[in-house]
Amino acid sequence: MTIQEDSSSRNSDVLAAFETEDQPASGGRLEAAIDHLRREWQLYLMLLPMVIWFIVFLYKPMYGLQIAFKDYSIFRGIAGSPWVGLEHFETLFANDQFLRAIKNTVTISALNLLFGFPAPIILALMFNEVLHASYKRTAQTIVYLPHFISSVIIAGIVITAFSPTAGIVNTIMGWFGLDPVYFLTQPEWFRPIFIGTGIWQEAGFGSIVFLAAIAGVNPSLYESAVVDGANRWQMMWKITIPSILPTILIMLIIRIGNIMEVSFELVILLYQPATYETADVVNTWIYRQGLQSGQYDLAAAAGLFNAVVAFILVMTANTLSRRFSRTSLW
Amino acid sequence: MSGVVLNKIVKKYGALQVVHGIDLKIDPKEFVVLVGPSGCGKSTTLRMIAGLESITAGTLAVDDRVMNKVAPKDRDVAMVFQNYALYPHLNVADNIAFGLKIRKVPKAEIRQSVQEVAEILGLTDYLARRPSDLSGGQRQRVAMGRAIVRHPKVFLFDEPLSNLDAKLRTQMRAEIKRLHKRLGVTSIYVTHDQVEAMTLADRIVVMNEGRIEQIGTPMELFNNPANRFVAGFIGSPPMNQLHGFLEADDAGPVAQIGRLKVRLPKSEVLENQNGKPVVLGIRPEHVTVDEVPGSFPIRINLDLVETLGSEALLHTDLDGMTFVARVETLGEISHLSGVDTLHVKPDLLKLFDAETGRSLSVDARTGT
Ligand SMILES: Nc1ncnc2c1ncn2[C@@H]1O[C@H](COP(=O)(O)OP(=O)(O)O)[C@@H](O)[C@H]1O
Ligand SMILES: [Mg+2]
Repeated sequence: MTIQEDSSSRNSDVLAAFETEDQPASGGRLEAAIDHLRREWQLYLMLLPMVIWFIVFLYKPMYGLQIAFKDYSIFRGIAGSPWVGLEHFETLFANDQFLRAIKNTVTISALNLLFGFPAPIILALMFNEVLHASYKRTAQTIVYLPHFISSVIIAGIVITAFSPTAGIVNTIMGWFGLDPVYFLTQPEWFRPIFIGTGIWQEAGFGSIVFLAAIAGVNPSLYESAVVDGANRWQMMWKITIPSILPTILIMLIIRIGNIMEVSFELVILLYQPATYETADVVNTWIYRQGLQSGQYDLAAAAGLFNAVVAFILVMTANTLSRRFSRTSLW
Repeated sequence: MSGVVLNKIVKKYGALQVVHGIDLKIDPKEFVVLVGPSGCGKSTTLRMIAGLESITAGTLAVDDRVMNKVAPKDRDVAMVFQNYALYPHLNVADNIAFGLKIRKVPKAEIRQSVQEVAEILGLTDYLARRPSDLSGGQRQRVAMGRAIVRHPKVFLFDEPLSNLDAKLRTQMRAEIKRLHKRLGVTSIYVTHDQVEAMTLADRIVVMNEGRIEQIGTPMELFNNPANRFVAGFIGSPPMNQLHGFLEADDAGPVAQIGRLKVRLPKSEVLENQNGKPVVLGIRPEHVTVDEVPGSFPIRINLDLVETLGSEALLHTDLDGMTFVARVETLGEISHLSGVDTLHVKPDLLKLFDAETGRSLSVDARTGT
């Protein structure tokens, strides 16, 4: 026995395309565009504040980017400064401190990706297994909280906790007869503390997006699996994780695109000259060169380099994701 | 007693009771359909059988084994869900194999079972596709494949066809029926659609507000509805229910429906009940335009004619009550427009107690 089926009766959700009215056949593109604008002006009006924001804060500053190729002086102004070609980039790549900053940025980001990225996912999966409603709510509130505390205070708490004299960490170590460690002045401790702090601060809040994705999973998938004999562990691996995989990949793409953006405030707040060796990242270096030493043109060149690398990373991550998992940002 | 036995099954959500003591015996290989309006507790009952909901009171037994506390996976039942419940990230073959993989069935055996099931369901060419690349009917088939592949003792279906369009639903209905004939597995099927119930069931269980109204074969329910609810639920269009009261004359009891008198057979139930409010049930199918032997005429005002092709629905007014007749057209409806009298075959009339709604189980005889 085989079954034939009319292929015209495909389920409509497969074909849930967004339909728009056909454009009028007569008239040029411009007329069509004006006509479109006249009909949909409310939507464009709502879009306007965002467009203005982009222009003022993201596109207008791009004009200043040209100083990366100029011998800039504030007295001559941007237009009046002479072009110097790639001189600043040559200086940059001959600078050991800059190269060290790139290496630190990539290392810290990679470690962050390795430990910081899975943390909110694991947290979300764990919350999802908690059945007691009020216990779950309380636990969630507690882990969301650090996100709403200013980085300055977070850093203050961390510095206090790791302080060699009164810090809780050294106190506890003292109970076991261990000598106090000057954590924040030792280069090898900077990265673990920095990444740990980042997880503490953001993992809870970051788990919200994954919890939302989990909430969107069709409950009858689980019921069907229960009848099939799956236990909770199997349901997590075979249903929950694959179902939220698109969300995970999107978040990963965004994260990879931000590899060059190590949380700048937290580094500034936690590092000190003694730990520059492992802690100084591109953005902190730019900050010191540009704002503290007044080398705006060199800092702009470094910033431009940073942005180009980030752009390439996002494009690559998106393409790879689209190819291998049918999920992509655009 | 083998088969599935429900004994005074009750379901409460907190203080809210939604299933009020269901008694039901389902024989092995039987196809039983639970039907009733939406919210009447069909799904809840089915889910208690599957083990997806706890049973508040009463016992559930499958082949003499009490299942109340048995985990769903050990009940040897398979369920087909309304929205198919297919795993979007797995292809058809892996979806069908899911239950077997969970049970750690050897790989070679899984592959063979999946192949067999795919052949039965005509899915062989689609095994490598994801559910999102299938039509609604194909998805439904994959969902059934997942159930079939496990060779369970009982199939549970919860409105499996209600996401399909009308044409495909008719087609899949026939497939399910054929599949049941071929596999012979006890099946419990939930639907709110009485046509689906009538066409699929060996026996139908009509439910309303968490209670069973009547259990019987499709024809039993059609011919002898136990009460006004079943009479109104089974059959399309539903049975006409005309309010009136009992009278008696020298020849015996009559039902007085407006100006219409319908002679009733002599019966103990109807004795000394003068003035008792009753409801006379007349199926739209049991009415003709032309006089037939033994029929009695009723005078109506024709309101509207709906053409169905070989038949037409006459919406009429009978002394202020709506009355629907389903009559043959013989390919022609012009003669229907002037109709002012219809003829009723008396032997198929039903009489109900207007207060309790129960059938008085007497067939009315002749009208005067
Ligand atoms: N989890 C629940 N909590 C409270 N009430 C419920 C729950 N599930 C179902 N109900 C109620 O139980 C009644 C029966 O539901 P259901 O069995 O799904 O009806 P149906 O016959 O349409 O399948 C409904 O009134 C519904 O609102
Ligand atoms: Mg239901």
